[in-house]
Amino acid sequence: MNRRLSKPPVVGPHPVVFSWDLDKTYLKSEFDSLRELVKIPFEKPEDKIAVPGVVPLIRNLRSQAATAGRDARVFFISASPPQIAKAIKDKLALDGVEYDGITFKNQLQNIVRGKFRNLREQVGYKLTELLRARPSFPAVAREVLFGDDWESDPIIYSLYGDILAGNIDHGEIRGILEIIGVDPALIAEAETLAEPIAAIDAVERIYINLERRTPPKLFEHFGARLVPTFNYFQTACCLFQDGYLNLAAVVEVASHLVASSGYTPLRLSNSLADIARRRHLNEVTTIAISEYMHAKGLLPLPRRGRSERQPLWQRIRRWLRSRPKRTVETLQPRPAINYHELIAEWRQAR
Amino acid sequence: MPTIAVDAMGGDFAPEEVVKGVAQISTDTEIDCVLVGDESRIQTVLSSIVYNPEKIRIQHAPEHIGMADDPKVALKIKRQASMVVAAQLVTQGEADALVTAGNTGAAVLACVQTFRPIRGVKRAALASVYPRQIEYPGQDQLALLLDVGATIHCEATELVQFALMGSAYARRVSKVPSPRVALLNMGSEETKGGDALVDAYQRLRRASDVNFIGNIEGHDLAKGKADVIICEGFVGNVVLKLLEGLAELVVDLAGTAARENWRWKLGLRVLESGFGKLRDLTDYAAYGGAPILGFEHLLIKSHGRSTARAVANAIKVAAKAVRDGVTREIASAIEQGA
Repeated sequence: MNRRLSKPPVVGPHPVVFSWDLDKTYLKSEFDSLRELVKIPFEKPEDKIAVPGVVPLIRNLRSQAATAGRDARVFFISASPPQIAKAIKDKLALDGVEYDGITFKNQLQNIVRGKFRNLREQVGYKLTELLRARPSFPAVAREVLFGDDWESDPIIYSLYGDILAGNIDHGEIRGILEIIGVDPALIAEAETLAEPIAAIDAVERIYINLERRTPPKLFEHFGARLVPTFNYFQTACCLFQDGYLNLAAVVEVASHLVASSGYTPLRLSNSLADIARRRHLNEVTTIAISEYMHAKGLLPLPRRGRSERQPLWQRIRRWLRSRPKRTVETLQPRPAINYHELIAEWRQAR
Repeated sequence: MPTIAVDAMGGDFAPEEVVKGVAQISTDTEIDCVLVGDESRIQTVLSSIVYNPEKIRIQHAPEHIGMADDPKVALKIKRQASMVVAAQLVTQGEADALVTAGNTGAAVLACVQTFRPIRGVKRAALASVYPRQIEYPGQDQLALLLDVGATIHCEATELVQFALMGSAYARRVSKVPSPRVALLNMGSEETKGGDALVDAYQRLRRASDVNFIGNIEGHDLAKGKADVIICEGFVGNVVLKLLEGLAELVVDLAGTAARENWRWKLGLRVLESGFGKLRDLTDYAAYGGAPILGFEHLLIKSHGRSTARAVANAIKVAAKAVRDGVTREIASAIEQGA
């Protein structure tokens, strides 16, 4: 039976928690081969590379929350062992990223206990860590979660959001985690941690960095709460729409992509159009971003020929108006997720 | 990097295969593409496959020209057809070249109506590559045949211009410094083939900027004698379709023989890799498409039955031609030839 579903009652800017996965979401970790995997513990902080755009994004999320008088916290949940904690913390310091907490996975304990399956299984670990941290946040705090398409972040975060919202009762938690193959001890722990949490629709958005370029259609069943993005400029655009960033911050992220990763104004423009087409941005937001970025010289200048006569933002507006009319502007919330079907589909697709 | 406009609605398997081809290009290369067509249908396909959105722009076009449509009528009525809109994007400077797997007649006509002809060029030519024997190490496996259908019957001046254009294309794309040019004829003697061919022969022999080797006959096509073969559109189209048909026939015959006789089956199994190479060599999907030469902008016409692979290869050909300045080379050749 579902518990009460409500948005937290908030006076003034609501507190917000930004939780980040580390590998493939913050760090461009390469562990496609055993050789790369073995290399990771020996990497120095300066050898580790952040995903383009993520550093200015996190910095702006914090600084703009402070400007708005909002209590904003940044947490990292890493599946890396604590043995490499120092290198990761040094890397975050090197990037100038401030955070309120970071969790590492005790892989040594799993080895000692002979739980080798737990070394690669992340759902039980991350879900229990998220549930464990929740009571330390203000009761009305909303959460924005950041992960990637490499492993199971979409399922973990959606499950967590639905447990908080009371969309999944305790009996169901066990059933779902058993299908996934989570360690029974972690299932029991997740149930215990979920028990005292008051039902609150706290997870506002889940951003999935499409590091593997997983087709976006695969995420449709997760509903509008989950936004798959191909780069952090797209993420910044959505965070602007949700009121967590201003346009200057979006431009800062975009400029970082241009300066550090060879993005061109044309490719930024294509990225913006893509996220709008996938209906994660409404038209008003899209036009606002286009106009501002054009003014800052970050969207392409018209090339030679007739199109020079019209400023780019007007062309984008014309394009938006010329598109086939839709009944809804952005994606609408879907009915509750059927995790049994979703997990089966996810496994089949991977 | 060049930007290629792609007619998403052209071809027997559009938009699925075309969009998949563009998606493949977006993840494997640095080429930017503009997909022109029904935006919602394109997005539906894109969302279900692996793609890089940074390199793909979608330009909505509400209409499209069918493979069976009359080109003249279709272009007159469907002003917002994907092929027309894509051609306009090229002339407006928003893309550098156009790729379509759609109606060939409409593609040629869309070029005529939208692109400006290169100064001095009388008629456009559709050029196609085909595999041939190699005469010396390092020789390109492919020869260029033009015209294969843009200009049905030609005068001598047009054939000479085709030679200049084909030679310029081969110099840039195939990197042959001095391509050997031949006229396709019914005999090797200079007096064979009627007035237009005889006149073209004399003019090409005198032309200093074309490495003209004379007439060649049908049986020489598969040999490595010439790099560029010139003929009128009617003949070229028949030759091209005959080559395609023969390749399909060989594969079909081998399959039939294998089904009827176990010795053949065994023999074919032994020769499997060789047949695979032969199949690859005669597979139109590997070559991408045929350029329409004679305009200030380039159009690559790919096969109507193009798969994602064929579309992707056509885009690569278009990008290479843009990068190598093919149209500039042709303009210069025509100017000098005049």
